[in-house]
Amino acid sequence: MRFGALAGYREHCSGRLVSMIGAAVDVRGLGVRFGQVEAVSNLDLAVAAGAATALVGRNGAGKSTTMRVLAGVVPATEGDVSVAGIDVRRHPLAAKRATGYCPDVGGLVPRATPWEHLQLAARLRRVPAGWEERARDLLELFDLGAAAHRITSGFSHGMGRRLSVVLAAFHQPQVLLLDEPFDGVDPLGVEAAFEVIADARSRGAAVLVSTHLLALATECCTQAIVLRNGKVVAEAPAEELSGEAGARTYRALLA
Amino acid sequence: MDSGDLAPRRSRWGFALSDAGRAVADVGALVRFRAASLSARGRRAAVVALAIALGGTVSAAVVPALVGGTSSSSAAAQDVLLLLPTAYAGFLVVTTFAIVGAGGGRELLPREQAVAFPVSPTTDHLGALLLAPLNIAWILQTWTVLGATAYVVGSRGTLWAVQLTTFCWLLAATAGAQVVAWCVEWVRRGPHGILVVRALGLVVFGVAAGLVATHHVGPVLDRVPTLRVVLLAFQPVGNRWGPWLGGLLLLVAGGLAALGLGAAVAHAVAHRPARDEQRGESRTMSARPMPRTRYGALLRTDRNSVWRSVPLRRGFLVLALLPGLVAAAGHLDWQTLPVLPGLVAAGGALLLGVNAWCLDGTGTLWRDSLPVKPRTAFVVRVQILLEMLVLATVLCLLVASLRASGRLTGTEVAAMGATAVVVPLQVAARSMTWSVRRPFSMDLRSTRGAPAPPFAMVGYSSYLAMTCTFTGLVFSATARSGDPWLTPLIALPLVLLAVRRLVATSREWADPVARSNVVATVSTR
Repeated sequence: MRFGALAGYREHCSGRLVSMIGAAVDVRGLGVRFGQVEAVSNLDLAVAAGAATALVGRNGAGKSTTMRVLAGVVPATEGDVSVAGIDVRRHPLAAKRATGYCPDVGGLVPRATPWEHLQLAARLRRVPAGWEERARDLLELFDLGAAAHRITSGFSHGMGRRLSVVLAAFHQPQVLLLDEPFDGVDPLGVEAAFEVIADARSRGAAVLVSTHLLALATECCTQAIVLRNGKVVAEAPAEELSGEAGARTYRALLA
Repeated sequence: MDSGDLAPRRSRWGFALSDAGRAVADVGALVRFRAASLSARGRRAAVVALAIALGGTVSAAVVPALVGGTSSSSAAAQDVLLLLPTAYAGFLVVTTFAIVGAGGGRELLPREQAVAFPVSPTTDHLGALLLAPLNIAWILQTWTVLGATAYVVGSRGTLWAVQLTTFCWLLAATAGAQVVAWCVEWVRRGPHGILVVRALGLVVFGVAAGLVATHHVGPVLDRVPTLRVVLLAFQPVGNRWGPWLGGLLLLVAGGLAALGLGAAVAHAVAHRPARDEQRGESRTMSARPMPRTRYGALLRTDRNSVWRSVPLRRGFLVLALLPGLVAAAGHLDWQTLPVLPGLVAAGGALLLGVNAWCLDGTGTLWRDSLPVKPRTAFVVRVQILLEMLVLATVLCLLVASLRASGRLTGTEVAAMGATAVVVPLQVAARSMTWSVRRPFSMDLRSTRGAPAPPFAMVGYSSYLAMTCTFTGLVFSATARSGDPWLTPLIALPLVLLAVRRLVATSREWADPVARSNVVATVSTR
């Protein structure tokens, strides 16, 4: 385990780990409307603490909108949404403290370096001193160590995606929200993302992964939810959607 | 010359003509494409803005003539007449610096969107020329030059002919400025280009400073070549229609030649990579200590975003120095200086302020997921904007004051201080309202980046040109009043109104629905 060196940091977090027991994502009757467009409709979703759930579906199915609602970036038009037991609508700041979010597009301040992103997040999230070691380890894990002080506007798409995952995970949130974390990422980056997801689960965090890549989703998640036109059309153990048979089932659900 | 030499030359001309024809058609298509992307409300706003811009231009060309009557021989009219060649030359200089600062001018279609279309350098060149008037300096100078000319001519029947010549000069000068800007961009993108251009900039600045220091500005301005353009414009007043027509045709031919030359240089520029942007995007920054407070962390991130952006940095330098240098060269008096902050602050708003949330680009989504109170983020963005506007304003006033004429009085100091506070605050308040209500997905990476699409920039430019000039003129009047209390009496309610607007906008920003609309829009790529 590459995070083994972070024993001190983990000790600090042990109190939080205890409080995380029962932490989950809980969405009931979620509806999101943008003008005339109904992006999400009457969506129910639950992710248990220590579990990883994949949100899969076609473009425009409502995956990213759901993730944005959970991250507190887009308000729900209707329904109840809570993360780590915190009502996102009533306590948006507390909800944001509990989550780590990798947005589906960009997600990086163009003229800041990865290290400056980490400093900003550490300060705003009140991460205690000593975070630097974990941040460096994560950057190394995602092969971004050499680019830690480079302006991110010059990053390739894959580098940007990898850094977004680092930013979502480095403060060890109770709820990890990864929107398209594998998009354009090389196999080593995918492995690193898997490691981050596994580490989050081992800490008892709830993980929600939104992706188009079914094979990767079923590999890193225990549960899968298929969305179509803003509604849940199926929910099943991830293994049921893996392999050739799973892919056929998935295509049938999307049709 | 044998036919073998002529054949390829003819084909080159043929190619150039067909390229020009295609480019004109493409510019039309791009304008229609941009117009089609406007909402019904946006279309109405664009029409109103265009009407204001055109109405302002026509008014500037006519109304002062009615004020001046037929007494072009009056002492005031004679004074303005003497300044006209300088004003005509000033237009050329300021327009050139503005387009050079914008890396060749604005783009009709942002580069990252244009990659999917075969947009030729000629189309880009024509688009940049079409958008050149969407610059606060261009609009205000055009109004000033047309207004001053009209005042000198008075309400004579020949006013139309004089103004036609003036307008032709303004267009030809813009085309000429565009050629210079492409040439500078070509050099900048070449070997050691950035160094060469910076050295050239220093030489120009040094020569200007030398002229000011040795009191040679007046004699140089007396010999500016634009005197011939002014003489040409006033030929119809003396009923010398023949020489006027010949000169006008020559002026038009010169403008068309500049148009063609600009297209040729634009092609050469397109073959060279943009070094500034490439260098910026591969830069390694030295790590700084952790900011001590959350507010400080936000402030540092925003400051980095502003000062590491090539278009913002260049635009700031042009704004901070150019109006001040022109004012210093023109030997403006202390009572006129309060007009300058309006120009500078409005220009600053057109660099970033009108769409302030686009500063983070796609990173806005991530930033909004961080646990920060919306109002804190709002206050930080306002502070960043005010820092930029006030700093540019103060620098401009400092440069202008180096050669300001007359003895400085307390009333004038109060007037300048008031404009340096009131105008940036007014502009920041209005800009933040626009930023929250009408966000756009814009990229400030390119040296030619703008914070809003062309049609929106028309509206913003027109509005800011009018309001900022008006405020500047009000404080210029209070500077002349001799009453030291008049300035603070006028400034205080204006400050309170601006603060009230900022507070109201911060409430709008705190609304999750309004904020999510901004975040989703500026993050889109």
